[in-house]
Amino acid sequence: MPLHPPGDKLVDLPTAVARISDGALLALGGGLSARLPMALVRELVRQGRRDLHLIGSAHSIDVDLLVAASAVRRCEESYVGFEQDLGLAPAYRRAAEAGTIEVAESCCVTVLAQLRATEMGLPFLPVRGVKGSDLRRLHPEYAEVTCPFTGEVLVAVPAVRPDAALIHAPIGDRYGNLHLDQPYVLDERFAPASRQVIATVERVVSTGEVTGAGVTIPAHYVAAVAEAPFGAHPTSCYPDYAYDRPHLAEYVEAAQAGGEELASYLKTYVYGVDEPGYRELLGPDRLAALHSWSRSTEDWKGLFG
Amino acid sequence: MTAFTLDEWFVVLLARTIRPRETVFHGFGSPCAQVAMHVARRTHARDSTLIEGATYAVNPEPAFIPPTGNDAALKRGAAYSMRFEEFFDAAIRGDVDRMFLSGGQIDRYGNTNVTGIPVDGGGYRLKLGGGGGGCNLAATIPFLSLWNSRHRSGRALVEACDFITDMGHRTPAGTRAELGYTGGGPQSLVTELGVLDFPDGHARLIQRFPDVTVEEIRAATAFELPVAGDLRVVAPPSAAELAAVRSVDPLGVRRSEFAPSELKRTFEHEPGADCAC
Repeated sequence: MPLHPPGDKLVDLPTAVARISDGALLALGGGLSARLPMALVRELVRQGRRDLHLIGSAHSIDVDLLVAASAVRRCEESYVGFEQDLGLAPAYRRAAEAGTIEVAESCCVTVLAQLRATEMGLPFLPVRGVKGSDLRRLHPEYAEVTCPFTGEVLVAVPAVRPDAALIHAPIGDRYGNLHLDQPYVLDERFAPASRQVIATVERVVSTGEVTGAGVTIPAHYVAAVAEAPFGAHPTSCYPDYAYDRPHLAEYVEAAQAGGEELASYLKTYVYGVDEPGYRELLGPDRLAALHSWSRSTEDWKGLFG
Repeated sequence: MTAFTLDEWFVVLLARTIRPRETVFHGFGSPCAQVAMHVARRTHARDSTLIEGATYAVNPEPAFIPPTGNDAALKRGAAYSMRFEEFFDAAIRGDVDRMFLSGGQIDRYGNTNVTGIPVDGGGYRLKLGGGGGGCNLAATIPFLSLWNSRHRSGRALVEACDFITDMGHRTPAGTRAELGYTGGGPQSLVTELGVLDFPDGHARLIQRFPDVTVEEIRAATAFELPVAGDLRVVAPPSAAELAAVRSVDPLGVRRSEFAPSELKRTFEHEPGADCAC
């Protein structure tokens, strides 16, 4: 697979998401409550994508929302949930318990090894753990390999090549150069290991501004970039905004209730609006307040109270 | 003397499992472990190296612990943050001394279940969040500090885990030595009822909280629980330890790990008690 040739890759969000087919193996960028590619996720739902196979490390509303919208066939994350704060992921949990999604739970280190194998053009890599864990039973594709030098028997995990990595960045240029703030989570590995990066950015800026801030993911991995302000909301995208804990709580409550309440959340925030409509619904005051973290420690603390 | 609460004391006990000069890590999903690492760095283990949450910041000084393990608030004051792979590589090659692990279920060997209760033929009776990187990290990190804040429920310390996510000292697949694991496995387990250690790889009660009896602890434990001959009451927190907990965690995120009834447990130092005030 060649690198993506240079060019103007700026498109609108629906066009970017149209590059993803039903059944695709998708790597979702960011992690937990930070920099999840939520505008891309919402657009996948609007376009009615089905049978997605998701892979990643620790995730929350991105995976749960896709599961809630019946877009997912198989999940291979190391964690899906809202930590101690808001608890288990309601739609993911319900679907896993009902058996309506396949859950092949994985481990951060294993997923990392599988991506690195692809990056290196290798068919597999060994990992040191997994033996003794029942996670192995969820992955009949794992095998064992004996080290030719030490005789050690290690678990071998196959290379994984996602069809697309969905990544949200604070800034990027129209050619696809992206700057991220740490933690990058797996995004730096997703980019070369995937067939294409589909990116959204808070702001499209000049190449000079991206190189000045530092290019984290270079244009040659990126197939399309769309501007999506608050594209990680309700998760954070520092330095622009902290996460919107009340909104996450609102989602979790609706998803726990299921049925009408969940349908109403999806109608209000996903099916019934495009992204400008989503931002309008939240209102400029509320969105601006999420930036208050930068004013003072007290303001920052206040966002989590 | 000031009164203190169970959640404060619990975090202090977790902090005490960290030894000076260690490199210590906890990922996400447990404010208690997150707070404990900072308490240790402000009390007995000032020279420990702390790798923070899902930000992998090295020795940050957060003004507060947020309710999520991946927030920029956790990076404050850190000169450097590791990249994701940089942290996991360090842990796998044995450069991270200690990590904290918990589980909805923990068995006598310190195996933990954070995956759920599967049913035959597919699906789950209960699906939990998942183990993050624990399944590999537990193999190579020398010391594991376990904790559980729901011991009293009777459902946490189980006869056998319905699913083993992270390996303790032995599983049906074998012992650590048999599997070629370089890490030493669980060293201690702190619960809201007491403290356990793992001599010969099997959990044993060594300390209890003063308001709990051994009988109550045994009744809440599904496996046969040996009790140390010199069983003690947990040593109370020092003024410095309590001050550190309160200063590190002004939002009180540690409290989210406990049942409301446990949060009502308050204690006082005994008059004239010997404490490192």
